[in-house]
Amino acid sequence: MNYMPGTASLIQDIDKKHLVLLRDGRTLIGYLRSIDQFANLVLHQTVERIHVGKKYGDIPRGIFVVRGENVVLLGEIDLEKESDTPLQQVSIEEILEEQRVEQQAKQESEKLKVQALKERGLSIPRADTLDEY
Amino acid sequence: MAESSEPAILEDYLLAEDAPLLEEMAEEDEEIDLYNEMTFGLDRDSMEEEVAKAPAPPDKGPELSLVGENEAAVVTEVTVEEEEAEYKATVQPGLGAEEEEPMLEEMEEAGEEGEAEPGAPRDDFADMEEETGVDEREEEEEEEEEEEEEGEEEEQHEEDNEEQNDLGDPAVMRAVHSKPTLESLDSAVLDSRIGSTWGEFEGDDLMAADSGAWTSSPSSILSHHMLERGYLGSPGLKRSDFRMMSPKSFPQRFMRQQSPMMPRSMGSPRPYTPPRRASPLFTPNQSSGYVSPTPFRPMSRNISTPTQPLAMHFGPMSPSLEPPLFFSPPAGCQLKFSVPSHMTQLHPQHQRILNQRQQRGQVQSISPKKAWSLKADPYSGLMTRKEKDWVIKVQMMQLQSENPHLDDYYYQAYYHRLERKQAEEELLGGRNKQEPPKLVTPYIQKMEIYDSVVRIAGSLGQVAMSTCYSPRRAIDAVHHALQEEAAGNQRLRALHRIEKMFLQLLEVEETQRKMNLLPEEQHPRFCEKKSHEVGRIYQALKIRACDSEEEAEDEFLQVLCVRKGKKLTARLLPHLAREQAEEILVTVTRHLPFLMRKDALDESLPVLYGPLSEMVGRMTFSELIEVLQELTRPLAGSTELPLTMTFKNQFGISLLYALLSHGERLLSSDMPLEPHSGDFEKWTDTVFLVARELSQVPKTALVEPLFLPSNLLSLFCRYLDKQTIHRLEAKMECSPLPSEAAMPC
Repeated sequence: MNYMPGTASLIQDIDKKHLVLLRDGRTLIGYLRSIDQFANLVLHQTVERIHVGKKYGDIPRGIFVVRGENVVLLGEIDLEKESDTPLQQVSIEEILEEQRVEQQAKQESEKLKVQALKERGLSIPRADTLDEY
Repeated sequence: MAESSEPAILEDYLLAEDAPLLEEMAEEDEEIDLYNEMTFGLDRDSMEEEVAKAPAPPDKGPELSLVGENEAAVVTEVTVEEEEAEYKATVQPGLGAEEEEPMLEEMEEAGEEGEAEPGAPRDDFADMEEETGVDEREEEEEEEEEEEEEGEEEEQHEEDNEEQNDLGDPAVMRAVHSKPTLESLDSAVLDSRIGSTWGEFEGDDLMAADSGAWTSSPSSILSHHMLERGYLGSPGLKRSDFRMMSPKSFPQRFMRQQSPMMPRSMGSPRPYTPPRRASPLFTPNQSSGYVSPTPFRPMSRNISTPTQPLAMHFGPMSPSLEPPLFFSPPAGCQLKFSVPSHMTQLHPQHQRILNQRQQRGQVQSISPKKAWSLKADPYSGLMTRKEKDWVIKVQMMQLQSENPHLDDYYYQAYYHRLERKQAEEELLGGRNKQEPPKLVTPYIQKMEIYDSVVRIAGSLGQVAMSTCYSPRRAIDAVHHALQEEAAGNQRLRALHRIEKMFLQLLEVEETQRKMNLLPEEQHPRFCEKKSHEVGRIYQALKIRACDSEEEAEDEFLQVLCVRKGKKLTARLLPHLAREQAEEILVTVTRHLPFLMRKDALDESLPVLYGPLSEMVGRMTFSELIEVLQELTRPLAGSTELPLTMTFKNQFGISLLYALLSHGERLLSSDMPLEPHSGDFEKWTDTVFLVARELSQVPKTALVEPLFLPSNLLSLFCRYLDKQTIHRLEAKMECSPLPSEAAMPC
């Protein structure tokens, strides 16, 4: 039943498996159970998926209530195609470790960059450091 | 060993109520129990500390009574540990053992406090599943697990104090991974203390009473695994009590019972329904920081025990907390859900789901993707029809508009196009009348709002109104708007005028659109309104005759020099009266060289071609001649004809062809032309002139017109010789005439 033709509405997506990307970068996968006019979502059997390179790890989270403004995008997951992925699933431990390593590497390269800029007399304020105040 | 609080997040899992997850959680609990046993069983020293802390309990009386009041308090057996003894007892509502339970809880609490464990929410809740058939044993087992789990969490926080258990301990069969705590996984969570803390309990009496009842054996851990959670045991158990139990087997804060334990001996354990999370009943951990989170989920009486605990990899638990492995339940593990006791307070949907599941009996595993259907999904339909309708209603309200054709232009235009295409298909193809669904947004009538309060921008507050009771001299508001006419820049002025006129034009078009949608009888009113507006715009264009010297200053021509001005004129032309449109055409033709020159960069003159050619098609012969005269009159100061210049300009040549073509059409038609005197001569002169110029201009300089009329050659045939025609034909790249014999030439 087509509730609102010509519009993008989440009503059709209820009870289907979705992938939700949040503003803080997290990826959630869960069954969309309920919505409201702000596109706040209730996700069921939610799993937080962390991707590092070609690997990913799932952390089960249970039920999520997501405030609509924090959603970047979401899309339905085709259950049949869900397993057709070149990515390799690893344990949570491992993926978190990988993530940590990746973060570290990024930080180091960032530090080097800042250092190089400083030597040249440039200082580019980084957005995250501004937030500290 | 110093015990730090380890918040637990397993409550989250409870809420999920997902069978596979539940199974997993059950498994985890078992593992945790084992783990606790292993880790805590080795630490002898802490046991001494626990003894020392035993006196602490007495002040926990008040909290205890509070706890006792709660329904279905689960008191887990406290297993002996170095530091503390805790035990849980399952509490069944309405049973006689109530007094015992609070005491038990006290003891647990006391024991906990002794450990100086601040605010460690126990993660008992993963267990709180709907298991079927509570046995005392099962409860105990569950408590065991809970204790293990809690102990384990504490364990996680205890940094260096605890030694990692090596599996050499014969009492330990298996190592357990604990669940990741919420804090560890989500750095934003500072304290995920789930449920309120129990505060402190007095456990002395209870412990004394029950000390004798304690038996435990490590092996029992393995055989009885409980899914339900218990509570932190009271730390008040005396050391002596524990001596009875096998020393190594009980972790320090053993939240769960491991084996036939106290509750049984108490004779009437009852399930404990923890208070709600936000319950203010329990004070947060006080002095010694003992905190036990109340189990969030009701423990059911019917708890099934999983047949086989899972083998877990035991890894080091560091305070930084690597997340534990998440394991999936073995295939054979079956969980049965219990009906929660009547004392448990469940959310209605929670209850419904439990009942559903119970009826279904079997735990549903996540079925293969292809087999997954909404029917199999026990959680589908959580959002009822009413709720969906409500959301849609809200969304529709947001779409309200007085003028959907304006506000929602793109959708309306799209829908019209779709409808038209469908109508065409219907005519061509089958008779399938499929109407595309249309979103009909609520159309609201604009209410007549009358401004009761007159506000002048920039004034402070209301304007002083003069009424018959208080006649005042009204201040003459002088509009101190910018006198833009005074500003010198001509181009700016032209742009400003264009903008104003464009807005007026948009209103006109809007009126037109509305008129089309409304029934016939309202048309005259709209027509009148429209023509009035159009007239105003025409006046604003300030079209007047001007000489070639004044071209630059002529306001209309200035408008035409701007791309938007051309667009404006083009869009206005269809609405204009015939004379007005003609006036425009004449002016354009007269000043064509000027316009073409100014348009060299923009090349936007072709926008005028469409409306003008339509206009041309309606002209009379005399009018046509007039217009053509403009082109053939030599420019002032030179012998050059505008005609020749048109060849180099796409718009120019197209216009020329259009004019000629129309003339030819008129001539070849049977309509009476009513020419003025001299018209025909002028006509033939023009044709000859054009032909001559065309033949003289090199082909490369000739620009391709926007549209090449087909009757041009026949026009030339009328007057010219064959050779010339051939040449023209080649030059103009006209399609050759059907048969030359048919030509009169």
